[in-house]
Amino acid sequence: MVDPITVEVVRCCLEYTAEEMGIALRNAAYSPNIKERMDHSCAIFDAEGRLLAQAEHIPVHLGSMAWAIKKILEHLRSRGAELQPNDVIAVNDPFLAGTHLNDIIMIKPVFNEGNVVAYVANRAHHVDVGGMVPGSISAHAVEVHQEGLIIPPIKIVEDGVFKDDVLRMWLRNVRAPEVVVGDIRAQVAACHVGEKRLRELMERYNVEQLLEIFNEILRHSEKLTRLSIKKLPDFNVEATDYLEAVEGEDVIIKVSMRKQEDEVFIDFTGSSPQVSAPLNAPMGITIAATSFVLKTILDPDLVINDGFYRPVHIIAPEGSVVNAKWPAAVGASIETAQRIVDVLYMALSKVIPKRVPAAACGSMNNILIGGVDPESGKAWVFYETVAGGYGGRHGLDGVDAVHCNMTNTMNTPIEVIEGELPLLFTRYEIRPGSGGAGKWRGGMGVIRSFRILAGRALVTIVGERVKRRPWGLCGGLPGEAAKYYVVRKDGSIVHLGSKGSVVVHEGDEVVVETAGGGGYGDPLERNPEAVLQDYLNGLIAAEDAVNIYGVVIKEQRIDYEETMKLRSKKRALSKS
Amino acid sequence: MKLINRTTSHGHAEAFAAKVRIGIDVGGTFTDFIVFDVKTGELQRLKISSTPKNPSKAILDGLRLILRRLSPESIEFIVHASTIGSNLFLGQLGLRMPKTALITTKGFRDVLEIGRQRRPELYNVFFMKPKPLVPRRLRLVLNERIGPDGRVIVPLQEGEVHSIVKLLRSEKVESIAICLLHSYVNPVHERKAAEIIRKSYPEAYVVASHEVDPEYREYERTSTTVVNAVLMPILTRYTLELEEGMRRLGVKPRLLMMLSSGGVVSSRRVIKVPAATIESGPAAGVIAAAYLAKLKGFIRVLSFDMGGTTAKVCAITHGRPILTSEFEVGGRTHRGRLIRGSGYVVRYPHIDLAEVSAGGGTIAWVDEAGRLRVGPYSAGADPGPACYGRGGLEPTVTDANLVLGRISTVLAGGEIVLRPELAMKAIREGICKETGLDPIEAAYGIIKLANTEMARAMRIVTVERGLDPRRFTIIAFGGAGPMHVCELAEDLKVDSIIVPLAPGTFSALGLLLADYKYDLKLCLLKPLSKLDSEEVESLFRSLEDEGREALLSEGISEDRMVFIRYADLRYHKQAYELMIEVPSPLTSIDILRHRFIEKHKEVYGYAVDEEITLVNLRISAIGVMEKPKLRSSPGIERRPAEAKDYREVYFGEIHDWLKTPVYERNALKPGHLVEGPAVIEEYDSTTVIPPDWQCVVDEYSNLLLRKSR
Repeated sequence: MVDPITVEVVRCCLEYTAEEMGIALRNAAYSPNIKERMDHSCAIFDAEGRLLAQAEHIPVHLGSMAWAIKKILEHLRSRGAELQPNDVIAVNDPFLAGTHLNDIIMIKPVFNEGNVVAYVANRAHHVDVGGMVPGSISAHAVEVHQEGLIIPPIKIVEDGVFKDDVLRMWLRNVRAPEVVVGDIRAQVAACHVGEKRLRELMERYNVEQLLEIFNEILRHSEKLTRLSIKKLPDFNVEATDYLEAVEGEDVIIKVSMRKQEDEVFIDFTGSSPQVSAPLNAPMGITIAATSFVLKTILDPDLVINDGFYRPVHIIAPEGSVVNAKWPAAVGASIETAQRIVDVLYMALSKVIPKRVPAAACGSMNNILIGGVDPESGKAWVFYETVAGGYGGRHGLDGVDAVHCNMTNTMNTPIEVIEGELPLLFTRYEIRPGSGGAGKWRGGMGVIRSFRILAGRALVTIVGERVKRRPWGLCGGLPGEAAKYYVVRKDGSIVHLGSKGSVVVHEGDEVVVETAGGGGYGDPLERNPEAVLQDYLNGLIAAEDAVNIYGVVIKEQRIDYEETMKLRSKKRALSKS
Repeated sequence: MKLINRTTSHGHAEAFAAKVRIGIDVGGTFTDFIVFDVKTGELQRLKISSTPKNPSKAILDGLRLILRRLSPESIEFIVHASTIGSNLFLGQLGLRMPKTALITTKGFRDVLEIGRQRRPELYNVFFMKPKPLVPRRLRLVLNERIGPDGRVIVPLQEGEVHSIVKLLRSEKVESIAICLLHSYVNPVHERKAAEIIRKSYPEAYVVASHEVDPEYREYERTSTTVVNAVLMPILTRYTLELEEGMRRLGVKPRLLMMLSSGGVVSSRRVIKVPAATIESGPAAGVIAAAYLAKLKGFIRVLSFDMGGTTAKVCAITHGRPILTSEFEVGGRTHRGRLIRGSGYVVRYPHIDLAEVSAGGGTIAWVDEAGRLRVGPYSAGADPGPACYGRGGLEPTVTDANLVLGRISTVLAGGEIVLRPELAMKAIREGICKETGLDPIEAAYGIIKLANTEMARAMRIVTVERGLDPRRFTIIAFGGAGPMHVCELAEDLKVDSIIVPLAPGTFSALGLLLADYKYDLKLCLLKPLSKLDSEEVESLFRSLEDEGREALLSEGISEDRMVFIRYADLRYHKQAYELMIEVPSPLTSIDILRHRFIEKHKEVYGYAVDEEITLVNLRISAIGVMEKPKLRSSPGIERRPAEAKDYREVYFGEIHDWLKTPVYERNALKPGHLVEGPAVIEEYDSTTVIPPDWQCVVDEYSNLLLRKSR
């Protein structure tokens, strides 16, 4: 029996080891994506591939490796592949690794006297893996083969030596080999750091003791997870939400959630079959989105390891948009992840409405623009994501202008873009009136717009919530839909829908108005003082204060008497 | 207010001579004074209770006490570190935020609120962003526009500025920040707007972004400008009040303040860039550690400051603390790392610290699944640890130390009496009941977990910056640092430690060890290929002239001035710059290119032959101060020290309880040797030395601890 303090000390050490691997990866990587956006995660697994500790920086990595490593080890076993000390495996096959091709997983076994004691692993988003477009994620891909190089589990390092042939073939297939090679080496280096720290632990405690401690860590986590699940009332609920298709029927994301005692069952049966667009989520994405939602409602401090998944059962039919199989295109599955979060919150709102938010803007609002500089003749491209509004919550307004749920990346400063590209920004503001009204209103979206200064360029939008507005909760109204459009030099307007491309010229203005979050609770119950502040801050119009909130404002002050009268009149009206 | 202590470095009090300097560190619980006699080199220390609602009261009270034995004319100057800025943003002390407005470019009024569009917490449904310092309705716009090349696209209309002034007056706005797009290249509109407002609304504090942070990236510049605007009325009133109080005491009101970067400047300068002083408190301790490191010839040290609520760690190499170029005021940290987006960005150099919730008052608890945990909550100063007998019921790190015999039941020369039975009760009821641990196991567990957390902070500042902690010496101070440092060092495989004299007031000493420092920068944003060395050299010279001017106005003679040049460069396509040091004079532009490529290889592991952009030129204009010379006694003869007492102390499962000698720090003289296990007690701290460690008192009366092989 290991004493509980030692277990806690080892748990902290494993957690820190995962973090330290992440730092080693970041410090050695070449690409800005890893160095600055921290689009990577590191984890430690036991000999059976059970997740012991993970350090991630964006939720889309949460828990997806827990599924992937088991799958990959199973695949290797089925092929009779033997791992040796000082081997490192690389893999990005979405149907094993669980996300899109840009995410490369590297795994290293840690041996003791001929037996695997643990695996150290990491996942990093590579800037390019080949495919149709620079950056590999194309809005137009219909199958995974268009999205780049698919790497099944192979040895990139064998017995401590890089396999030159493999490396050469890999690098020949990507657009920025000098950067990618740095990132590959960084991932291998991170594995070494993890192994080194595990060896130190193996020195301090003997292997049998360590295995017992691993078990104890997972049991502890499982216990905490079960306890927090148990605190919820039992339930069995369903919900459906949609992704907007460019053509044809919208994509259905359906879930039924059942909670019994201290276990939850999450079943996505009834969701649409996979589609001919890059919106298909491999299983890892679905697990990440589900883990995200559970962590947020159970306890934000819950540690995600194998113990967490013991009372959590996720069922997603193979070949559907939430568990895609070959040859589905998967590049833009992050938008699907956003919708899985929405549908889970929607289902949970039927049981624990006070603990879930109304729908957030529901998209990353991806903009891609590229053209040729007429002066220099050089091609330029620019990609960014734009924040939106977060949903209203019981007791709190939604947050204005912020990245929601599965993403949390930074914007690019306007002073940087203008210095480098032929673009002049015209607005970067909170979008007034876009948050859904409610007792606690939804967060406002964002307006971001720029004018093309020279030549011509192609703009592509991958967005959502243009037709189907972010829903409100408990009487709250939906957030305003997103709008993506171009104002031509002559003043005419071209709408792009939720996804689309258009050629723009000098003088044209590209405008992105992102969706607001849904409101929470009856707007007539909103604190009049909060309505007044929103009005004074220019976030809602005077007529909305009266018509939606029933608040009468005169000379920048609330007329309480009139407000009471108006509100009771409105309540009576809505009852009849 | 009561006088808590008066000691001298050698235990005797003398009247002060003619020229003295005073360092004052205002902390949450105590205000510490260090009085340094320049002629005799003597140091005296004074510790009094802080007056958080009105910090200058404690300062003036303390000065009054000091003036009992000192003539006011003999005080040369006072150096001061204050938490007033950080407290304002943490919403403490009931300080009122001044009503502040922001004037910006039309279309961009929300840049301040949107920030970098990230949320501060990933998994909290009920997350919030920090409330913008200027509400939306006071964020006003001018229909003007300057392009990235500095060209005026839409000219400023002065009439618009005048109508804004009218509105600001009617709103009774106290301070005004101006930040227009691309003003770092061409400040013409900002300058004009500021001029008009200053003339037509002279009561208001006005600050334009090009005056306080002339660098690109609109959010960071706007935020830095606004934080300055918010702090200006507060810091101005505070320093005026303090100077007035000094005058009344007959003291020449020469007041210097410490910057977050560890330099000092006069209060006149501070009220122009108040945001640069926000983290002055933690900086002082690091400066003291850096000085001690240089004095003792240690190239790599970790400054380890453990107090009542947190532990702060900083890596110092070659006597220089590691700096970062921006930080967040009022931001929260999570296990030693800043939570991005949780506070207000300020783009000033800042000592790179890792702070974790591990202090004497940190609370131990049992989670739902029955596991012992330590932190992040703290019992603070009130009610404090259970053993203080002030109503605290939860077990803390201090309670654990008491149960294990590590601290005496009598502290601060008898001021504080600790009650072991209360500590024991708290541990039994808070921990043992639910875990089934015995109280000693539980107490030792608390220490181990607190140490694990602090070891993490040390790894953050070393391993994560590519440094090997085993090659470092730890300088341990703060009330609790010396108690934990040896076991912590064992975790990190560090085998060398210094405990300075009077660890509790060591931070205040740092105030007298700092140099004057003006950091100036100029944003260029030009391709290196289009610049020549003469042009860059002349720009550096004009920055240096500006710095020289500033130092002269502080009364610093030219022979004490040092200028260090830096440049920020990046590959054209990159998002972040790297800073390199630049030689003076700059004879060839290729020097910049080579140094950048070298640095890029060092940091990123590769370099390419692509266009390089020169983003900023920076200088540090340093006015070297004469430092207190710590007294030393040469010709040390090694000899064992004599214990004043013995008590039982617990040193873990292997050693168990050991009969441990207790020494009086004041009785330890240079050359004295102490073998572990041992406890060394002094007025404001206790040093715990486990078996296998050895301590020798050096010529400056520091304790040098080494792990015996």
